[in-house]
Amino acid sequence: MKRGIIALLVVAILLAGAVTAERAMQGIDRQDPLGRHLLYLPSPEMLRLASLGNPGLVADVLYLWAIQYYAQYQPHDRFLYLEPIFNLITDLDPRYDDAYRIGALIMELPVTEEAKNKAAVIRLFDKALRNMPGNYEIAEAAGWDMYIRYRDKAEAIRYFEAAAAMPGAPHRLERFLGVWREQGEGWSFDDALAYWREVRDEAESRYDRTMSERQIYRLYAGHDEERLDPMLKRWSTRHGSCPSSWQPLVDAGWLDEVPKDYFGHPYRILPDSCSTMGQDEAHVN
Amino acid sequence: MSEVQLRVHELRKTFHPGLFERDVEVLKGLSLEVDRGEIFGFLGPNGAGKTTTIKAITGLVIPDSGEITVAGHRHDTMAAKRTIGFMAENPYLYPHLSGREYLRFSAELLAVDRGEIGDRVAAALEQVSMTGAADQKLTTFSKGMLQRVALAQALLGEPRLLILDEPMSGLDPIGRRDVRDLILEQRDRGVTVFFSSHIIPDVETVCDRVATVIDGRVRGVGAIHDLLAREVECYELTFTGCEPTSLSTPLSAVHRSSDAVWVRVEAEHRDTLVRELADSGARLVSLTPVRSTLEDLLVRQYEEGAAR
Amino acid sequence: MRSIRVIAANTFREAVRDRVLYLFLGFATLLLASSKLFGMLTVGDQSKILKDMGLGGIQFFTMLIAVMMSVLLISREIDSRTVYFILAKPIRRWQFLLGKYVGLLATVLVNLALMTFMLLLFVWAYGGGFDPRLMLATGMIGVEMALLVAFATLFAVLTRPILGSVFTLAVFVVGHVSEDLWLLTRHLPGSIGRGVVTVLYYLVPNLERFNFKTEVVHGLPIPVTAVLWAVLYGVLFTALVLFLACLRFGRRDLK
Repeated sequence: MKRGIIALLVVAILLAGAVTAERAMQGIDRQDPLGRHLLYLPSPEMLRLASLGNPGLVADVLYLWAIQYYAQYQPHDRFLYLEPIFNLITDLDPRYDDAYRIGALIMELPVTEEAKNKAAVIRLFDKALRNMPGNYEIAEAAGWDMYIRYRDKAEAIRYFEAAAAMPGAPHRLERFLGVWREQGEGWSFDDALAYWREVRDEAESRYDRTMSERQIYRLYAGHDEERLDPMLKRWSTRHGSCPSSWQPLVDAGWLDEVPKDYFGHPYRILPDSCSTMGQDEAHVN
Repeated sequence: MSEVQLRVHELRKTFHPGLFERDVEVLKGLSLEVDRGEIFGFLGPNGAGKTTTIKAITGLVIPDSGEITVAGHRHDTMAAKRTIGFMAENPYLYPHLSGREYLRFSAELLAVDRGEIGDRVAAALEQVSMTGAADQKLTTFSKGMLQRVALAQALLGEPRLLILDEPMSGLDPIGRRDVRDLILEQRDRGVTVFFSSHIIPDVETVCDRVATVIDGRVRGVGAIHDLLAREVECYELTFTGCEPTSLSTPLSAVHRSSDAVWVRVEAEHRDTLVRELADSGARLVSLTPVRSTLEDLLVRQYEEGAAR
Repeated sequence: MRSIRVIAANTFREAVRDRVLYLFLGFATLLLASSKLFGMLTVGDQSKILKDMGLGGIQFFTMLIAVMMSVLLISREIDSRTVYFILAKPIRRWQFLLGKYVGLLATVLVNLALMTFMLLLFVWAYGGGFDPRLMLATGMIGVEMALLVAFATLFAVLTRPILGSVFTLAVFVVGHVSEDLWLLTRHLPGSIGRGVVTVLYYLVPNLERFNFKTEVVHGLPIPVTAVLWAVLYGVLFTALVLFLACLRFGRRDLK
């Protein structure tokens, strides 16, 4: 018994010492020009060989690592090798859909100038289209990224045209292109609603379905805000204060019923600005 | 009164081979005592627990319970180990060393004085007649040569207790004779020898006392002739001047030659037969007890153990 | 102490007389020599390639020597009967085990020193000058190997030779990716999951702490504290693993 206790004590002391040393080393800053993990980034050919027939698996592991790595705030210059890393991943697995989309997303992050590299994003998406010529979803995502992040309508139309031309592409793509060419910057509420409903109905992944539901919610919310906000302002002017609920407006016959958002929840009234806000803003965000 | 050199008391050991395998109880309360200066044989069939007992004494196996003392010291103390010279069955020695190097290595472990190592090694090699081949690599040695070197390393420390596990196994008749002579020589020097074997003639030739081990326990212990004296089963008588058919005492065998009659009778009927022969005027030529051999004893004990 | 020294000397002698060792040394020399060829393919500083390949090759071959020789010198002996004759003598089990460890470590370190000397020679011969910091990098590889050999000793006591070598190799691999375990702790939901991974992280040796190759090759400053803490970490972890090995070996039946 006594020997057992002494042995446990020795183990505990040695382990405590080792843990203390490890924690001390975590706090020591060591210079590393490329990030400790990136010095020995090998070529895709070598990695393919080393993977012993599992390049897809190696691509997965690298992708997971990249997600974790770029989610950190250190080191600040970690974006230096963003493109080579995602090139490596997509060379190992040319049909790795997520790697193209998330790689482009990370490249678009407004963290540093190196990160917001439009040319690199375009290169990555073009590579995706070369390796997956029939993948209209990637082309569609590329088009949206170009328009939303960079306001580059020309590039957005290029990707949408490529998407619409692919066999099996949904009809909404042609319709959207037609509307966009005709109407310039904007398109009607009904066009947008029809487009996103079609994306939602044809979505094969939960991610795409959620994204399109979010767009539909925002469309309805924006549309309803345009109608309800002026109503609230008029009431405020007439009665001297913003209503605390919708019931007075219903009672006064201004509304048939309490206005609800896309998910069926009543809109909130923000008293400070006397304007509308959906209850599910946090949910869709 | 002779001093007890080795004492084993109620030794128990169970091996646990693995998670899904049954435990194996090898020693079930084994006890024995070996007196100083005697040659003690440890006899039993394969699987009886001989090697496990020896390993427990030498500290290679840790017993579950029981007591082992060597010259009054607990067996796992350095004091006890310094008095022991051990040779394992089928020795496997470092193949990269020569015989001499191996013995030097052993001498260093025995903490022999640096200045003395050379002489001790030379003497040990001489004792086992391996001086000529001492500088060859052990990997080139035959089994018999390895056995001799193993014996030499057991003698290096000038032990008071020599423990040998199957020392003559695999040796040719000359090798076995040499080992036997060596054991007797050690006894003459006052060294206690404890050796296990399943080769009965070897035990019968050299041992002062013997313990028979069956199924993890000692079944019999004592001098061989004492052990066997208890086991006289029948007698053989040779006589003349009487017709065996006229005898009323039951006989288990009868053989006639031209000049005499040879009969075998159960021990319990011996006296009756002798009286009957005397009464009939026959002349008794010889009366010889028929004892079991050690082999018979062992087999009988084994069968009794199996029946239980 | 004499027993430990005697066992260590015998173990070292056994290693030196084993042909397998020279095979590894031969391959390591070949790698160092051929790194000059790779250097010729680059534009700019050839010695960087030489140093990169040299240090990487030294680490790889030293690791191989540690793993393979531990099977030959420790695992096999514990599994075979050679150990009977030794442990029946007045020597404690922990002294035997430590002696085997010291002997094996001496083998590994001597080989490491030889390869370091060859690397210094090649770098100097191919115009890279004399870079003493290379010795710091290889010295820390030596500390890493001291810990790896300790694990090899522990596995030799716990399991069969083949499994022991596989586990030792696994420690080497996991030890070099354990930093990612740390990253994982920050992304796991729930405190129980994070707690478990944190404990695992500290129990697995972080072999990257001994890796100063980048700084040496790029001529970057090396904090003295990083080196000293790393050495202390290596010593403490090695002592812990050896202690566990001795504890287990002390109770093991030699069948």
